Amino acid sequence: MTTGAPEPLLALTDVNTFYGQAQVHFDLSITVGRGHIVCLLGGNASGKSTTMKIILGLVKPRSGEVTFDGASLISLTTPQIVRRGIASVPEARRLFADMSVRENILMGAFVRSDRDAVAQDLDKMLTLFPKLGQRLSQRAGSLSGGEQQMVAMARALMSRPRLIVMDEPTMGLSPLYVDRVLELIRTINQDGVSIFMVEQNASLALEIAHEAYVLQTGKIVLSGPARTLKDDPRVRDAYLGGSEAA
Amino acid sequence: MSSWLDYTINGLIVGNVYALVAVGLALIFGVSRLINFAQGSIYLVGAYIGWVAVVQLHTPLPLTIIVVAVVAAVVGLIIERFGLRPLQNSVRIAPLLATIGISFVLDQLVMLTFSPNPRALPSQLPDVRFQVGGGTIGPLDLLIAGVGISSALLLFVFLRYTKLGWAVRAASQDRDAAMQMGVDVNRVNQTVFGIAAALGGVSGLLVGMYYNQIDTAMSLQATLKGVVAEVVGGAGNVPGAVIGSMLLGLVESYGVAVFGTSYRNLFAFLLLVVVLVLRPNGLFASARQAPPEPLTGTFIAPSRPVRIPRWALAVAIVALAILPLLPVSFYILQTLINAWLLGMLALSLTLVAGTIGQVSLGHAALLAIGAYTSALLSLTLNVPVGLAIMAGGLMSAALGTILISPSFRLRGHYVSIATLAIGEIVSLVILNWESVTRGPIGISGIPPLSLFGYDLISPASVYWFAFAVMVVLALLQARLLGSHLGRCFRAIRDDDIAARAYGLSLNRYKSLAFIFGGFAAGVSGGIAAHLYSYINHETFNTQQSILALTVVILGGLGNVVGAILGAVALVGLPEVFRIAAEYRILIYGIVLLLLVRFRPQGLLGTI
Ligand SMILES: Nc1ncnc2c1ncn2[C@@H]1O[C@H](COP(=O)(O)OP(=O)(O)OP(=O)(O)O)[C@@H](O)[C@H]1O
Ligand SMILES: [Mg+2]
Repeated sequence: MTTGAPEPLLALTDVNTFYGQAQVHFDLSITVGRGHIVCLLGGNASGKSTTMKIILGLVKPRSGEVTFDGASLISLTTPQIVRRGIASVPEARRLFADMSVRENILMGAFVRSDRDAVAQDLDKMLTLFPKLGQRLSQRAGSLSGGEQQMVAMARALMSRPRLIVMDEPTMGLSPLYVDRVLELIRTINQDGVSIFMVEQNASLALEIAHEAYVLQTGKIVLSGPARTLKDDPRVRDAYLGGSEAA
Repeated sequence: MSSWLDYTINGLIVGNVYALVAVGLALIFGVSRLINFAQGSIYLVGAYIGWVAVVQLHTPLPLTIIVVAVVAAVVGLIIERFGLRPLQNSVRIAPLLATIGISFVLDQLVMLTFSPNPRALPSQLPDVRFQVGGGTIGPLDLLIAGVGISSALLLFVFLRYTKLGWAVRAASQDRDAAMQMGVDVNRVNQTVFGIAAALGGVSGLLVGMYYNQIDTAMSLQATLKGVVAEVVGGAGNVPGAVIGSMLLGLVESYGVAVFGTSYRNLFAFLLLVVVLVLRPNGLFASARQAPPEPLTGTFIAPSRPVRIPRWALAVAIVALAILPLLPVSFYILQTLINAWLLGMLALSLTLVAGTIGQVSLGHAALLAIGAYTSALLSLTLNVPVGLAIMAGGLMSAALGTILISPSFRLRGHYVSIATLAIGEIVSLVILNWESVTRGPIGISGIPPLSLFGYDLISPASVYWFAFAVMVVLALLQARLLGSHLGRCFRAIRDDDIAARAYGLSLNRYKSLAFIFGGFAAGVSGGIAAHLYSYINHETFNTQQSILALTVVILGGLGNVVGAILGAVALVGLPEVFRIAAEYRILIYGIVLLLLVRFRPQGLLGTI
């Protein structure tokens, strides 16, 4: 962190993560500035999802520091971290399949106790995601992939987070929904929520991101403002290298 | 016709009782993917707390119910907090084994406090019966139905309309995602254990009043019935558990009506096996739903086994072989003979549970099959004892494998449930098949051990015989583990999906493991029969199955030397310390708990 720069909202510093013997992250350092969309690119098995889990406290690093708004998250549990203002859109959405769409969205507000404001926020979600209006009492598991993605995003917003971490939000969606999701991410961001998203699809992600990092087998090999990386041939190379190594 | 209505009413009332147990099991399974084998112990505790309240404190009925619910809930919370929460990050088998250990400890504590003799638990309601249609119904029936229905309603309201209830449902559908919504899963677990225990305890109280009697054998029965009802309804499915319980109650009641009381449990377990085989996700699960247990090799603790040099083993074998020549007491030889018999059973179980990963809870049934075969052959057909024991081993191998084969496609906890049920079925068949097994009278006058016409009467000769048989079995098993076959077994244990993808036929390898294991256990049972000279359907019971499992875990799953060492330790140490028989089971339970917590790989490590 350079002196004088505003303190970032989220910072991972020299994180090393292991699953048993296998090391997944090597001195990983990532920062997410306030109000920014930051995207983490990388091929399969490069450790992207694990980065999300580190931020959320689902996996703890062997060494390194994770701070949110200046305070360390290392010793906090996932629910405590969520209460600090981080929400998530997990890989493959992970809705509560047997609960209704309404219940799923309201689960996002689990950490809140201001009932009236929650009810208002639910209405707000229905204007942001109009299609969900007719689906509210349907089982979440019966929705299409794109609809499920909408529910997952609404659910994340319901906790009024300062940061949303998203794992491959466009994965498996039709092109129409991909555009819709990207647009929504931008809208959410414009309302002041910072976004950290993991993506495989670099060209899409770089469209909307402010900064990006490229992860290759657990190491950051490239980082910088999204607009400079967009035309950087090394991004593609890193991918190819990554997939060869995988 | 009137009696049919009575049987239906009875079935539904008993179903209500089962539901109180099964709903708790379903809640716990939903949240932690764990079958809580201690649920019946909480039910037992509930019954005895109820006895204290009614008989000694003379509490009125509503207060009795509240006291029981509260005390049972506290027990449940303690189990969750100190027995299970520390195991959150350990291997998947650990919590299952811990609940078995906890149930031993609780049952034994109740037995030591209140003595094993049955006690009368008077119903606090007037003993009148009302005519309903063609049947009759009493106040206690109504109370049980009322408690059952109101608990179900309360639970429904809790799950559907409270925040904590939502958390329970979310955690049971996707634990990680629930955590990411800010749900504190520990709190959810605590809630669920508290509710399950309160319901289970009240169930025990009601059953005690219903039959007017309580005893410590209630515990295992309740666990088994609850598990049957829960699995029939679909593991983790709360409404399913209620319906499964009613179904179980009715099946039992009609079964008793047609065939008689001693068949009651047989129907329960047959229902379980049929459901497990045909619809392992329960009767009400939609077909596309994946089994609720994503199990792979992590079920058993990986570890580096302790290497024991060959010469050390050879020295140990020689030393133990010449032991009877030394001036050792009869008592020591007797103890070691028991250890060798248990060692053979442990060899069998360590192969089945450790090497190929099928954690069997019904292994005593293999002993029983071997024992009955050998006893009956030598007694009724005058087959020489040595040959009869061999035949007992072969019969166990064949019959054991055939009986277990329908559940070969099950995994993890389900294997344990299926083997437990099959074990119970074997013992119930022995009880009811009087023309062959002599039913409850048992078989007496079984000829003593003999070999080539010479009776083995002296303790030394019995010792040598048992020791030699065990060593041969152990050497064979060690050879097996080092062979290609052994590697295939372990591949199936570690990842059965991958093993199948590589073209291994799971059925064939599981059969081979059960054949080999069945033989060892059958031989052990055969020798025991001739040694005891009397056996009945309770000689080889679930407690022995669990003891064998404890031995195997103590030695290290899959570990041949470990199995024998474990047997010597668990048979020998209580003798050395002269621990009274009543306390032994308690000690075994504690040993199991400590092992699971601090050394899941056992003394010598898993292989
Ligand atoms: N729970 C786990 N236990 C052991 N290894 C794991 C676990 N989760 C992930 N891994 C391994 O860690 C590495 C990184 O996984 P991760 O899921 O972070 O990758 P990813 O970049 O998200 O991949 P993908 O693009 O496929 O989603 C992989 O090699 C994976 O096999
Ligand atoms: Mg991923």
